[in-house]
Amino acid sequence: MQKDIIAFWGYPEKDIISQTKIEYPEASWVDLDINYNYPDLKIIPENYCVIIKNIVNNAFYLKDRIIKILAPIGKDKCDSAYFISEILINEGFNIVQTIFEEKCEDYNSLKLPISKSKLPLRKKVELITNNIVEQKDYSNLEECVPAFGFWGVPPNDLSILELFPDNTEVFGWIRAVEAGYPGDYKLETYVKENLPTIFFTQAFCSKTALAKYLANKYEGLFIDVDNTPNNSAKAKIEAFLKLR
Amino acid sequence: MAEIYIDAGTTWTKILEIKDNKKTYKIIESGKLKSLYSNCKKATGHTVIKTEKYINEAVALALGAKEYLKKDYTVLDLGSRDIKWVKYQNNKFKDMDWNTACASATGATVEMLLKFYNLKTEDLKFTKEKYAITCGIFGLEKIMDDVSHGLEPNIAVSKFIHGLAYNAFTFTKNSEDICISGGFCENNCFIESLRQYANVTPLGRFVLVDGLLNEN
Repeated sequence: MQKDIIAFWGYPEKDIISQTKIEYPEASWVDLDINYNYPDLKIIPENYCVIIKNIVNNAFYLKDRIIKILAPIGKDKCDSAYFISEILINEGFNIVQTIFEEKCEDYNSLKLPISKSKLPLRKKVELITNNIVEQKDYSNLEECVPAFGFWGVPPNDLSILELFPDNTEVFGWIRAVEAGYPGDYKLETYVKENLPTIFFTQAFCSKTALAKYLANKYEGLFIDVDNTPNNSAKAKIEAFLKLR
Repeated sequence: MAEIYIDAGTTWTKILEIKDNKKTYKIIESGKLKSLYSNCKKATGHTVIKTEKYINEAVALALGAKEYLKKDYTVLDLGSRDIKWVKYQNNKFKDMDWNTACASATGATVEMLLKFYNLKTEDLKFTKEKYAITCGIFGLEKIMDDVSHGLEPNIAVSKFIHGLAYNAFTFTKNSEDICISGGFCENNCFIESLRQYANVTPLGRFVLVDGLLNEN
């Protein structure tokens, strides 16, 4: 089978993305973080971050087609990503480990048109993650007056985002990705003080500690979801949006 | 024509009927709801009949107990299979949690235990000892172990309920003042157990239907 895919997870360092695009202009780019419903090979333990499970299952399912995997392993992703990158190297994948920990030097200069836009929350998150590779200009998007905040990473099941109104501003790692600084802790932990915010993480992700801490600090709602959101998580979000 | 408000629980359905400005409260088995009513004005819970408006249970709870929330009480509702609480501060929503999945802290488990040991709620009495029941299945195992070693079933179930009350207390993040909604208001063993940890005000079983009435 012809190898035609450049795979990646997280936000690989920008120059490496650009260089790879030049090197493989015909290749398709596949974000391994996303749940494509490929078979669960049970390589990763059951009680583990579902995003990491996605990466491994997707990688093995597409193995014959993958040219190389751009693999963030620094503070811009997580320790689990480092460990699975080593596992995948051991399993014969061509892995390019990247560390993208550059810090923003002027937070006031950040525009963040997608995070602040009037688009539906799901669309915002999809645009930001797609733009890791596409690098399109969205500066013309109309800004919303935010009524709520959503802090976190792109959920494994994006349908949870459809519970939110369009005037929900994006924070956390997703916002840091739009800004181009996925490893900037200060940017990742920023939220607006009096904006009712839901702090979301995938269960078994190390960011749960951060989400719970920030939810308490800013009187937001902490939600962790394993694979897909259960009724409890959905009901909590609905109630929070109604009661705040 | 009466206005009907329904809080359809897993086991019991609480109903408020308003006719000629007169309120009538009823409780029926949820299995009989469909045969007795075809529609209602507002509903919450697991309703199986048509409703003009559906309200989230936590929202109905908050609206039904708003007078207590204004006083900074935590309002806790224990149902057959779920547990939820809401807290306000300075008349504004502050925090909440809702567990719809685990039966270790809910009424269905206690009803099953009472049936299994042929006990009535009145047979239970507060015990200082409690089982640590982070999991309902492990809790049942402890009851059965102790009963097989000679402990009276009503004492064993009371210890289970004390553990359940303690779980409810920690689930509310150790709230000092708790208002209880739901069938556990009628379980003195539970109320007395919870009072070991917090000031407790039972509000009865119709808080959510009152919340439906308050909802605009």
